[in-house]
Amino acid sequence: MSLDHIVTVTVGGLTVGMIYALIALGYTMVYGVLKFINFAHGEVFTIGGYTAAFTLLALGVNDAMSPIVMAGCILLALLAAVIAPMTVGFLIERIAYRPLRGRSRIIPLLSAIGVSIVMQQLIILVFGPTPVSMPALALGSASFSLGGIRIRVLAVVIIVVSALLMIGLTYLVRSTRIGKAMRATSQDMEAAEMMGIDTNKTIAFTFIVGSALAGIGGLLVVMYYGSLKYDAGFLYGLKAFTSAVLGGIGNIPGAVVGALVLGMTETYGVSLDLGFLAWFVLAGLVLGLYIQMVRVPGRRLQHIAEDRRTPEYEKSVKNVYRLAPYFAVKTLLAERTDALLSVSAEHAVRLMCGNAFLAASAAAMFVFGDVRIDTRWQPVIAFVVLMVILMFRPSGILGEAITEKV
Amino acid sequence: MTATLELQGVSMSFGGLKAVDNLSFAVNENEIVSIIGPNGSGKTTTFNVISGLYEPDSGEILLKGESVAGLRPDQVHDKGISRTFQSLRLFSNMSVLENVLVGMHAVTDAGVLSSMLRLPSVRREEKAMREKAQEILGMFPGRFSGPRQQQPAYSLSYANRRRLEIARALASDPTLLMLDEPVAGMNPMESREVMEQIKVLRDRGHTILMIEHDMHVVEGVSDRVIAMDHGVKIAEGSYHDVANDPQVVEAYLGKRAAEATA
Repeated sequence: MSLDHIVTVTVGGLTVGMIYALIALGYTMVYGVLKFINFAHGEVFTIGGYTAAFTLLALGVNDAMSPIVMAGCILLALLAAVIAPMTVGFLIERIAYRPLRGRSRIIPLLSAIGVSIVMQQLIILVFGPTPVSMPALALGSASFSLGGIRIRVLAVVIIVVSALLMIGLTYLVRSTRIGKAMRATSQDMEAAEMMGIDTNKTIAFTFIVGSALAGIGGLLVVMYYGSLKYDAGFLYGLKAFTSAVLGGIGNIPGAVVGALVLGMTETYGVSLDLGFLAWFVLAGLVLGLYIQMVRVPGRRLQHIAEDRRTPEYEKSVKNVYRLAPYFAVKTLLAERTDALLSVSAEHAVRLMCGNAFLAASAAAMFVFGDVRIDTRWQPVIAFVVLMVILMFRPSGILGEAITEKV
Repeated sequence: MTATLELQGVSMSFGGLKAVDNLSFAVNENEIVSIIGPNGSGKTTTFNVISGLYEPDSGEILLKGESVAGLRPDQVHDKGISRTFQSLRLFSNMSVLENVLVGMHAVTDAGVLSSMLRLPSVRREEKAMREKAQEILGMFPGRFSGPRQQQPAYSLSYANRRRLEIARALASDPTLLMLDEPVAGMNPMESREVMEQIKVLRDRGHTILMIEHDMHVVEGVSDRVIAMDHGVKIAEGSYHDVANDPQVVEAYLGKRAAEATA
């Protein structure tokens, strides 16, 4: 495994991750305010990509153009890829969600799925069922060399543009008047209303901002991959939603972190052979053993009342975790044992099984060292990552921002 | 002179239950009026109807002679009615200062683009708002000083959260301030402090409508007291008149106790 391969894969992972992040922000912002998943958000992304591509096709962009004219055209496409999704996002909220606000949570969710299906059909009706293709531009395949490693210009553009947008969004939410209104609305809509905030406007604004970000994501994707299918929004939306949950739904930095984790794992998962990936699993095993043997027993011991914390008692709790198979079974079988110990014993057995699974996978991966995972397995990898993280941390990597800490 | 707030025959029912029944009263400028009554007598519903959370089934609500019945809560707030809540409803993940700034939302007008670009007008407005927020928080000496303003609201003590709710409600310079049980859950020392604070607010020219169970506070600050039971106004007048009204005693203590005192 060479260094340039790793750099290439990392850049690829960052690029995909940033795209997921742009879409995930819309999911997470809407969830933050309305506590429901806007499943039509993926289609908003597709519309962004389509309008961008069609604008460029209509303008007849080609390499013979002067760079300034071409930049102007791309700027126009960007404008279209922002305005069209914004309008659509605004209308979706107005037509499909606002009339249902205040009903039980399943109802707007069903409406969202319905809107998603309708939108997909609308895209086919308006643009046709064949994938839209970008005009072939030199810019699309341009690359530069960094210490002998070839990196696509567009990958860098995607990473930089997304990062700038995220900084802008953070500033918007943290420091501006409308940002405060958004946060107030997301914490207590009724109270926000009675403090003079027009929550309808604030919610509409949230949809508009989220849709604009997804639209720019669409533009970047269509430029990067050269084409986009009418149902692309489904998979992208699903991955972005996964990212948002992964990072902690409702949490804006969380969406970015989750998206990067997902993008990286996906890309690494399918580009490297099993023998190399096994090292990652081994790293996971080391972390797992650390959790089982040091972190968890340490935390358990904090909950024990001072007077019961005799050295022997501490030792038996630690042993249950460290020498799980022997002591855990012994503790579980013992007739007179206290609650903490028996709960710990069960817990320890579960942790141990997880670690044993990691160890077995690493061993198997070393054995089949030169096999590569087929790209078609990419969604499976994403799913496994999601399951593993949520098993250990149900609120996501950074936690849900909305949780009341009272 | 038109009253600051006037309710004319306001009724509000939920299903078959008449929570507020043909309620009329007025609050004059620079006056403190308290509403008392047993639990479930319709006091908080009255507040919610005034703040626009519910639209009254019938009747009229006038703020300085202008109807506010049927407006949305944010519109009612824009007209000049601000309130606190019985069960605290601060924006607990936002900082103390931000909570007060949210209270000013209605009286500021920085747009999205100009805020993103940090135009001079926005910066000026922001500076003025921060200064004003400092001033309001300064009304509670020693409670919200220095670094505490940057702490999230959830980290405050219970009494300070109540104080912060009052500060947030004051941020928009309301024509009418409504306090829903401002001293609930406070110890006697703390309630006395809040009582003094409310008097200061009157001296500054605020008009206050208040729900309160603590009779010391009601006696201490009210210019007038309104007693409610089962959604109906049963007495109105000075604290002593209302407290000795047989109907009020009956509402609180039952019929036999009322007869015994009579």
